[in-house]
Amino acid sequence: MTLLEFASGPGLQWALWIFVLGVVWRLVGALFLLSRKDLSKPRQYNSVAAGFGAIISRSAPAHAFEKRILFQHVTGYAWHFALFISVLFFAPHILFFESVLGFGWPHLPNTIIMVTAIIATAFLIALLVRRATHPVQRFISNADDYISIIVVLIPLVTGILAFAHFGARYETLLAIHLLSVETMLIWFPFGKLMHAVMTMPARYQAGTAFGRRGVKA
Amino acid sequence: MRKDQFLGEYLRMQGVSRRGFLKFCSATASMMALPPSAVAQVAEALATARRPSVIWLSFQECTGCTESLTRSHAPTVESLIFDAISLDYHHTLQAAAGHGAEEARMAAMEENAGKYLLVVDGSIPLKNPAFSTIAGISNLEMLKETAANAFAIIAVGTCAAFGGIPHADPNPTGAVAVSDIITDKPIINVSGCPPIPVVITGVLAHFLTFGTIPELDALGRPVAYFGQNIHDRCYRRPFYERGQFAETFDDEGARKGWCLYKLGCKGPTTYNACATLKWNAGTSFPIQSGHGCIGCSEPDFWDKGGFYNPISAGMWGSRDALVGAAAAGAALGVGSALAARARKKKAMSQEEA
Amino acid sequence: MSSLDAIPVTAELATGNVEPLLHEIRHALKRLADGEDGTVIDLQRLPLAPGEDERIEEVLGQGEVRAEINALGPTLVQETSYPGVWLVTHRNTEQVVVARFVEVTHIPELLKSQQADIENGASRLENELKN
Repeated sequence: MTLLEFASGPGLQWALWIFVLGVVWRLVGALFLLSRKDLSKPRQYNSVAAGFGAIISRSAPAHAFEKRILFQHVTGYAWHFALFISVLFFAPHILFFESVLGFGWPHLPNTIIMVTAIIATAFLIALLVRRATHPVQRFISNADDYISIIVVLIPLVTGILAFAHFGARYETLLAIHLLSVETMLIWFPFGKLMHAVMTMPARYQAGTAFGRRGVKA
Repeated sequence: MRKDQFLGEYLRMQGVSRRGFLKFCSATASMMALPPSAVAQVAEALATARRPSVIWLSFQECTGCTESLTRSHAPTVESLIFDAISLDYHHTLQAAAGHGAEEARMAAMEENAGKYLLVVDGSIPLKNPAFSTIAGISNLEMLKETAANAFAIIAVGTCAAFGGIPHADPNPTGAVAVSDIITDKPIINVSGCPPIPVVITGVLAHFLTFGTIPELDALGRPVAYFGQNIHDRCYRRPFYERGQFAETFDDEGARKGWCLYKLGCKGPTTYNACATLKWNAGTSFPIQSGHGCIGCSEPDFWDKGGFYNPISAGMWGSRDALVGAAAAGAALGVGSALAARARKKKAMSQEEA
Repeated sequence: MSSLDAIPVTAELATGNVEPLLHEIRHALKRLADGEDGTVIDLQRLPLAPGEDERIEEVLGQGEVRAEINALGPTLVQETSYPGVWLVTHRNTEQVVVARFVEVTHIPELLKSQQADIENGASRLENELKN
């Protein structure tokens, strides 16, 4: 079996299996860890609105920190947008999602994808360097932080190389790109990449909990 | 043509002028993917080349490779090359049959020991020698016997080069490639199902001109023809870059000649000369005719996920397995959460006590 | 059964190789004009979309000289509207194109009479006149 056959065959099958199992396990587990029933009288009854409100309001940094974290804030959003465009709107990727989900969606021209992929890579590297050099960030960062960034950075870099047919034969580049994505999928349920799945539910939960007491989350 | 005659002399005796010979050399050099500056060298080499003996063995094959070759578009050039070589044994093309034919083969092998070219098309079945025999001799035995004193082996077609159709899952005959059996002779893999005829004769022409094996890639294929993948030479590449794809075989995109990636084209992972040399005298090739490349010059192309499955969809298996994984994950999630709540309850009751 | 020609096909095809090729010819012609050696370009080495062959011929145009060689099939040698730029199209006896070159030179090699042929011809003429 060649490397590409493994990467697009059993490798991908197992990675997807572990990814789905792990993510569903953690998400369902967290949802079922309900707290004790709150016996106090609620100050507000519409906690659903408070929940969704928290999702939106917590998308911006707390007013007190705004100026101090301007760099992370802007770069963070920029690299996420660039990543989503590169991953979700590149035609070959959409065909892969179609094989998993059963449906696809419109794509963007390759040149746009190339630009966004380069932006995403550059910004992610900038954020990684900052994390490793800024005294506070370095102090509070652990292995999980670095691993989570690296397993996303490598697919970006190998994807660009494969697209540009640069560095080795195309099948090899493609196989390495697929294997790096599989590594990310396998790591996903175990580390901080879970924020992709947990952030919205977590904000909602905080929003409803505070909203019940009449406090804006 | 006498065996010991020079090719140049032979052509002169056929009434071919020096000018005609130069035209032949230009076309041959072009066919061998040599630059025009090499024509003089080709002319000199061909003028003084001697006729090599060629034995062609056909094993577990469909005869498509021979058909491709004999239908090749430049009969003058190809037929001259075939006149130039001494084709001492070929099932489909020879008039002889039976014991006489086998004796001719043995005689040619003995006479030209160490110098003859062995051309093989078709795979070799290993599960049972009786699956494919010639004159009662199994393919395996005949290959070993004939390869022993050959100068080099040309494995023509994907069957001989990599196993081909018989080798596809589940490979009921135990078919293998020539290179799986012979390991002590230089083997040139001219893959393709069938190979482009000009590629076959180009390799023969190279041998005729230079007396050596052309430069080969990691899979043993001549770099001159298999050095680039179809995607990098495809005239529809600009459509791929602009994101203009045909979604079905008869939609607007298909009529406009857009990229066939979504319809399963294996161009990006296939190495062959179809996009430049094309087929039938440069008339067209599958992509130009509206069908994606099936990757026929690559090993195991029958088992690469299907001709109409795009490359990026992968060969990863069924969605049912993922639904099962989600169900398992949900079960584990609920289970672990309930276990955690039970522990919490127990801890609280212990605290109260 | 309907004819295949009834299927409407509108293809906008371009490899982008026509212009670079024409520039390559331009550079070669300049070198020839400066007294350097000629250049031969093999047109079959370049991927060209259907129609681009004709486009190249259209741009180069036709000049003062048109020669037909009859050796192992017809070969057409056409000087283009740019003196020094020749289009050589080799066909076999079945009229199928086997090679196409753009030769940037004073005169394509194949138009010249070849030494071996001249020698053969000389002895042939001698024999002819003896009888």
